[in-house]
Amino acid sequence: MGSRTGSALAGVNTDLCRRVRSGSRVPVLGGLALLAALAAPLSAQRAIQVTSIRSLVFGTVFPGVRRTVLRTDPLNSGQLDIRATRNAQVQLVFTLPAVLNGPAGATMPVSFGGNDGGYSATRSVASQVGFDPRVPYVARLNNNSARASVFLGGSANPIASQRAGSYTGTVTLTVVYFP
Amino acid sequence: MSRPTTRPAWIVALALAVGGTLRAQGVMIAPHAVFMSHGTRSGAVTLLNPGTEPVEVSVAVFYGYTATDSTGQLTLVTVDHPDSTQPSAAGWLQAFPRRLTVGPQEQQVVRLLATPPANLPDGEYWARLAFTAKAGQLPVAGVRDTANIKVGLTLQVRTVIGLHYRKGIVRTGIALSGLQAVRQGDSVVVHARIERQGNAAYLGTVHGTVVAPNGRVVGAFHVPVTVFYANEPRWAVSIGAVPADSYRLRLEITTEREDLQPEVLLQSPLVRDSVPVTP
Repeated sequence: MGSRTGSALAGVNTDLCRRVRSGSRVPVLGGLALLAALAAPLSAQRAIQVTSIRSLVFGTVFPGVRRTVLRTDPLNSGQLDIRATRNAQVQLVFTLPAVLNGPAGATMPVSFGGNDGGYSATRSVASQVGFDPRVPYVARLNNNSARASVFLGGSANPIASQRAGSYTGTVTLTVVYFP
Repeated sequence: MSRPTTRPAWIVALALAVGGTLRAQGVMIAPHAVFMSHGTRSGAVTLLNPGTEPVEVSVAVFYGYTATDSTGQLTLVTVDHPDSTQPSAAGWLQAFPRRLTVGPQEQQVVRLLATPPANLPDGEYWARLAFTAKAGQLPVAGVRDTANIKVGLTLQVRTVIGLHYRKGIVRTGIALSGLQAVRQGDSVVVHARIERQGNAAYLGTVHGTVVAPNGRVVGAFHVPVTVFYANEPRWAVSIGAVPADSYRLRLEITTEREDLQPEVLLQSPLVRDSVPVTP
């Protein structure tokens, strides 16, 4: 039995790729053929891609005033896109911060509710299925496009004496591909 | 160890051709499931950055497998310190490099090297590979001398794929039991127990159909299934607003997969069962 990992981009003409890597010239038609092969759906290439499209942005907030961003907010909600194989099942696990870090050691509480996660098999912010981002969520990718989007909303909760400055944190989305 | 790095122009074209958003950040990981053999004891995963900014990637290897939870949903079971009874490859599998930066429109290869114990019995051993990609920080800095408070969260991505290491004679199969089908409104909810046989994970596809007494199919589904030990899945099949009748659920499980090359699939006999749908 041979290893199935020798050519990671399955479906790609590895001989051609080696020629490209080594700097040899690929004829124009050959190059076009290569592009055509590479432009095949990722399902054919047996790859998975998770892309951070947009960070969750609360923008400017005011001391003592809670600022909530809905997962359906097309500008400020967080968005990640997933691309794998048709009908594939993935588990989504968010690692969410409790506080954000600001200037001179200051922190700001941040919270996420049971409906702050959104999943869209059509990758539309207007067509989501809500879920609780605090617990794992299992989703199935679109059977035609093999793509999906994940959205995230949340709330920043500055206290009345919140120090001015920029506050940042990191949300990690773990995508487990179930082969 | 040298890290193969390429920046061919065709990657830019590829990113455009497949519809990738060049301003977005993330890496493409291929393959999405790794199969290694005891003969070669090596493998590779290619990371491709179609974006316009470098992406820092760290690679981790750990032991884990999928199972179903009490609701029938798939879940990843991880064991930090697997004992000798667990078929873990994590303890003797290494990835090189473990940290790397993939430049814009570049691809790099992560090599996998297995150094199993000499007396490793025949069978399949499992691990999980986690690729954590960290892109640029959120641009909320720059507020210095005002009373403004600016807040933002950066999204980081961790992608986990499975690894199967096979040595010697490996075989698989399943035993299907406890099949139940219950109508709930416009759906039929299916429960079953699938227990793996042999010494390797079962990779297959479940095909289910809901059939009316006249033979007409009123609902169907097919889902990939991977059984490491035993799964008790729950599937819901939409049947629409069909009238009450004596429907029957037919289930077939085969070692076919759309997302995996046939060469990596271990064959076993088709498993079939059917039950009446409880109104």
